[in-house]
Amino acid sequence: MIRRTRRQFLASAAAAGCAATFLPGCAQPHPPLSPTPSRRPRVAIIATVVRKYSHAQHFVDRFLEGYGWHGEHHHPPMDLVSMYVDQFPRNDLARERSARHHVPIYPTIAEALTLGGSKLAVDGVLIIGEHGNYPKNDKGQTLYPRYKFFKEVVAVFDSSGRSVPVFNDKHLSTDWDQCVEMVQDSRRLGFPFMAGSSLPVTWRLPALEFAPDTPLRESVCVCYGGIDSYDFHGIETAQCMSERRAGGEVGIKSVLSRRGPAVCDLLDQHPTTRRLVFAALSRSSTLAPTRPGYTGWMPDPDWLRQNSKGFVAYFIEHRDGFRTTVLLLNGLVFDFTYAGSIARPRQTASCQMYLPMPPGRTTLADFFNPLVNHVEQMILSGVAPYPIERTLLTSGMTLAAVESLHRGQAVETPQMAVTYNAPRHSTFWNA
Amino acid sequence: MAPPRNIAFILEEFGADTPAQHLLDRFLIGYPRDGEFHRPDDWQVHVWLALGVPDQELFRRTQDFPLERHQTVESAAAAADAIVFVPRQIAAPELLESVLQSAAKDSPVFAHGALAETAEEASRLAAQAAERNILLAAGTPLSVTWRLPEIAPPAAALTDAVIVAQGPFPLAELHALDGLLPLLERRTGGDRAVRRVQHFKGARLWGLVDGPRRRLLAAALSCSDSPQGDPVRDGRTQDLLGLNLLPKLAANPRAWQIDHADGLRSTIFVLDGVVADFNLAIKRTDGSLLYAQLFRPPPPQRHEFSRLAATIEQFFRERRPPWSPDRALLTSKLLGMFAAAQ
Repeated sequence: MIRRTRRQFLASAAAAGCAATFLPGCAQPHPPLSPTPSRRPRVAIIATVVRKYSHAQHFVDRFLEGYGWHGEHHHPPMDLVSMYVDQFPRNDLARERSARHHVPIYPTIAEALTLGGSKLAVDGVLIIGEHGNYPKNDKGQTLYPRYKFFKEVVAVFDSSGRSVPVFNDKHLSTDWDQCVEMVQDSRRLGFPFMAGSSLPVTWRLPALEFAPDTPLRESVCVCYGGIDSYDFHGIETAQCMSERRAGGEVGIKSVLSRRGPAVCDLLDQHPTTRRLVFAALSRSSTLAPTRPGYTGWMPDPDWLRQNSKGFVAYFIEHRDGFRTTVLLLNGLVFDFTYAGSIARPRQTASCQMYLPMPPGRTTLADFFNPLVNHVEQMILSGVAPYPIERTLLTSGMTLAAVESLHRGQAVETPQMAVTYNAPRHSTFWNA
Repeated sequence: MAPPRNIAFILEEFGADTPAQHLLDRFLIGYPRDGEFHRPDDWQVHVWLALGVPDQELFRRTQDFPLERHQTVESAAAAADAIVFVPRQIAAPELLESVLQSAAKDSPVFAHGALAETAEEASRLAAQAAERNILLAAGTPLSVTWRLPEIAPPAAALTDAVIVAQGPFPLAELHALDGLLPLLERRTGGDRAVRRVQHFKGARLWGLVDGPRRRLLAAALSCSDSPQGDPVRDGRTQDLLGLNLLPKLAANPRAWQIDHADGLRSTIFVLDGVVADFNLAIKRTDGSLLYAQLFRPPPPQRHEFSRLAATIEQFFRERRPPWSPDRALLTSKLLGMFAAAQ
């Protein structure tokens, strides 16, 4: 376990302050941490709702019951000691879990983090702000309280003079300034901050990984789902591959979103991108059998256009000219596939980011296993497994794409000049 | 020798989501292979379907594709220089014998499933094929599907292997053998013969679980995404083995312990009601484990058949069997020993 003293906390907070305000691409300072192996780390989960198959249920149960990992039923070497839960629907499971595993549910986030006392009393915090009954704005974004939860966590850190690693499930916020502020807070207080979804860390079929500095020219993700929800997963699918390109990530310049047949119009103008779309589709396990009497058929551009009514696509231009395209081919696929174009030697690489998705295909959403394991490792080591800048940028891509859909035109994103380098080692599930 | 151009499908049934449909369609339409959509359009496809079975789906294909339908096995087999044989059950040795009699000399023949359900019948078929220089292979998609994680057959001495399967006898056993045997074939040292097979059920079976194989069973079950019981009810990530829930969940469980002559002991657990996927674990002599789920992609496409179609196509084009003929013989022998041990 890693814990920081009050003196260390103040030193890193001051150092972050001297480094001025948030500058995208700044290296996140590693907090000076000291090991205290005398007791098991304690973890708090801050959740919107815990019901069957909500994201919070997946996290809570993996800490309480364990999960299959590396050839055994792994029990995290830490204890879930408190929960804050925002909503309790009729199918709530939080109270049942709380009673059966003797984990108290506190009425406030501050009490969950202090275990009812006055100072921070846990060694790691998970913010799971996905699912639950929350309003949508006029762009169709669900206003989950991730930023609000995060700021309440940071307030406890501030008042306690101590911080601990934080995980935020999915994108940071529906507001860019809030996203930036969250990253700034993690730098100001020097705590490891990890965020995002399972897509970058789940199984890949085949187990494709780009070597660092691969001369990658373009990435495509083909997936499904709604805006401000599964689109984020598709963006993360592409970005966890794109960020390994030569030169690293440098941020994005603009995003253009299209719906329906207009998606095919744009693909017609970009034959290389269209070729990558079909390479990605070749990795799908769920391609719809659109011909009566057949379980499968060979897709072609005409077939794509005939079925394009529910399509949504994001065409993202990076600051170095790199292109990312994310297509939600609703009605045609129910999985996440990737294809990338490599310059030297000229080739296409592709895979499926496999999600064993319940209840249709499995009973457990085990793509949360590697994500939870990375959270555990972060709490133990004090080091986030991949840069928070990835999620800052994928949050920004999602916001800009939704904005472009809303406006019906391309959105320039000069504020999203987020630069970072991917970790050299692989972080996806492959053992 | 020129690559084959005429392929015959000898089928005992043809309907939606049958192995016959999945394999024939891939040679008519194409299938995804190595990151692209592959069209094997240089084949002329012939088909024979057993008389008296529904054929409307096959008729549709004769309308949509240049598929030549034959009235007899002999006619279809004689027209082809490569043959795919798909029985309705796991094997149909008498019909396969007719196929081998009618097939062109030197041609490759792939039988879906097992050659036969006894060692004697399988040996007879293998001898018949050898007599006519026919390259004969058999198997199911379980032998070629993706493994999660992507483990390779270990080239090391092995002490134990466990696989958890589901389904009726002997289909579950065939799938288990097809999943497991490819991973055992490259092991080092010793005699590959089978010394003994034991059948377990009831309390004796749970005794197996509590023995030295518990660690392997735990490793195999750790790869499952489909535990049954409470996880179905509320999604909890329960440790079924650690909580001793297997006896409560399993419906008519059965197990087979195979003692190989080199000391390797393989155990097949058929545990309906415990998990709904196929998972295995293998122990090397140094104590280290390999473990994986045998991935079965979802219907309707079931892309494990794309992997099998690619294997068959390569077999036919290169005229080189995808695996040793000994595997098919061993599978048939073990199926016979299972039946005798019940």
